[in-house]
Amino acid sequence: MASTAPLVVRASPLRRLQKELFGSRLDGLISIALLAALLAAGLGFFRWALFQAQWAVLSANSTLFAVGRYPVEQQWRLWLLTSLLALATGLSWGLLRAFPGSGAVRALWPRNDRWAASILVVLALWRPMALQLTLAIQARWWGIAALLLLARWAAGRYGPAIPQACRRLIPLFWPLLYLVGMVLISGGLGLVQVPPSEWGGLLLTVLMATFAILLCFPLGVLLALGRRSELPLLRWGSVIYIEFIRGAPLITLLFLGQNILGFLLPGGLAPDRVWRAAWVLTFFAAAYVAEAVRSGLAAVPAGQLEAARSLGLPMPLALIHVMLPQAIRVALPATVGQFITLLQDTTVLSLIGLLDLVGTARTVMANPMFLGKNAEVYLVLAILFWTCCAALGLGSRALETRLNTHSPSAPQA
Amino acid sequence: MTSSPALMIEARGVEKWYPNGFHALRGVDLYVHQGEVVVIMGPSGSGKSTFLRTFNAMEDFQKGSIVVDGIEISDDLRRIDAIRREVGMVFQQFNLFPHLSVLDNLTLAPVKVRKRPKAEVERQALELLERVGIAEQAHKFPGQLSGGQQQRVAIARSLCMEPRIMLFDEPTSALDPEMVQEVLAVMQELARDGMTMVVVSHEVRFARQVASRVVLMADGEVVEVAPPQQFFTNPQHERSKQFLSQIS
Ligand SMILES: Nc1ncnc2c1ncn2[C@@H]1O[C@H](COP(=O)(O)OP(=O)(O)OP(=O)(O)O)[C@@H](O)[C@H]1O
Ligand SMILES: [Mg+2]
Repeated sequence: MASTAPLVVRASPLRRLQKELFGSRLDGLISIALLAALLAAGLGFFRWALFQAQWAVLSANSTLFAVGRYPVEQQWRLWLLTSLLALATGLSWGLLRAFPGSGAVRALWPRNDRWAASILVVLALWRPMALQLTLAIQARWWGIAALLLLARWAAGRYGPAIPQACRRLIPLFWPLLYLVGMVLISGGLGLVQVPPSEWGGLLLTVLMATFAILLCFPLGVLLALGRRSELPLLRWGSVIYIEFIRGAPLITLLFLGQNILGFLLPGGLAPDRVWRAAWVLTFFAAAYVAEAVRSGLAAVPAGQLEAARSLGLPMPLALIHVMLPQAIRVALPATVGQFITLLQDTTVLSLIGLLDLVGTARTVMANPMFLGKNAEVYLVLAILFWTCCAALGLGSRALETRLNTHSPSAPQA
Repeated sequence: MTSSPALMIEARGVEKWYPNGFHALRGVDLYVHQGEVVVIMGPSGSGKSTFLRTFNAMEDFQKGSIVVDGIEISDDLRRIDAIRREVGMVFQQFNLFPHLSVLDNLTLAPVKVRKRPKAEVERQALELLERVGIAEQAHKFPGQLSGGQQQRVAIARSLCMEPRIMLFDEPTSALDPEMVQEVLAVMQELARDGMTMVVVSHEVRFARQVASRVVLMADGEVVEVAPPQQFFTNPQHERSKQFLSQIS
């Protein structure tokens, strides 16, 4: 077939654009009208952003948006945590490049990485200045960005020299960091307690989202397995749970959770409004993750389980080593989609009175000094959420390609 | 009698109904001694797969008894796992694990179930792959292999558990004709090394050369059991003659 197919001559991009936009007279008219509308909207936006918008509402409240009413004298703990996060991110990033999936070429700074690093540098230099932060704080951000890039470089350069035995411990760094982070944020182990009611802004949003994302996944997998279980009690329990949660709006569950979770969970787990909300988010997302994983399990051919069982693998091992790896690979895009939804759902927390990013925005705008500055604030929030979701999406796609280079085949028929 | 080979499979009066009420096995008997190769033939839907799968407790049954390598099959889960460790099974569709490399396909069960050291199992796995003629593919993934190669990996995967009995359910039916021979050759060598085998297959040449006995099943019953020479040249039952005329 390849030999008979006509050679396609690749037109220059400009030519292609011309052909696509102005192929026929009607196409041309539509294109011109749309371009004009776009241009007008763009000009209007820039006029507003440059001359009318008053960004002081953000710079004046930058701490509030970042961490809420977290006590000033304890904020060094958050700086420490941010530095640790930057270190871990840089190291992981570098190690991923040091050990690319089989077949990929190892390069210290691939093109995409150079782009990412440049964006990081620009952001670190420009953003703190744009927010008119004090020089001391600007310097901290520069330091953190430098730390990240340095770790990235060191891990990429010296990662391959790490002995095999130590390498397997590296992924444990992240859960460990999560625990350290929780202690740093909430206190204990000799640190002053900072109650959750004083967490706010980006800190609260990110905390809620990561807590729910980390826990809803294992919970969702268990529910999906429960739904396929042969034990009727387990199966029906899972079905009822999943269908109930998926049939109820999140906001009703959040209000419900504030009232009943105190009785449902052991006292220490849901002591206050913030933690109750976190659990509701987790339980809510778990039902959707369960459905994604269930469709993944259904996509695994029946012969896989038979083969595993006939080799003498007991059911739990067959699930862990044969069924789930294949099912989760299929379920990955839908699951990450659910994580993205979850991140956006955290904004609902403002409706039950928590001061997440949106909650903070509402209190700021209630202040007479900043009355009517909705557009500025919500535009920035939208961009912030979009960035996080885009990063999640990119990460999931990178993971998918990495998994696919590991086994280039689709499951056999 | 002087030491006759041990009885490896002893199935007496096995009856099975599927949950929908279908009577798939209607009182079948089969005795397989150590080192024997029994080939089961019969028309589609006659219950060959169902019968074969009762030997490693992949299918349950309602009446009769089956003793495999001295272990009676019952609902006791521990015994079922014990039996599955002793009995290897090869499927029509290969059923290799697509997310694991060929080598990991082989080592998964011995490492996780028998708890043997990984390095030792890998050495054995490479030897087995050598034996079935695909050692150089050890680090590829199943999807990168041809059907014949995949089926040989599947055989090696079962052998890696060091089973005492091997069950084959139409191991060459899903293969392109030019790949059938390479799989049969591996099975033939396995038989020569003294493995006890029960094979559902319609490969007449293989049955003639390798089988100790041929079993003909029809409508959930064993119709005829005979040495291959006799079965193919002088079948005793009307149903056998009819079946042989259909496949030749
Ligand atoms: N899960 C099931 N539920 C109900 N009936 C079944 C089930 N599995 C198989 N059967 C029926 O039991 C009979 C025997 O099936 P079996 O798969 O053992 O036949 P077979 O001899 O292996 O046939 P083939 O040569 O097509 O593989 C068939 O009539 C089939 O329709
Ligand atoms: Mg069959």
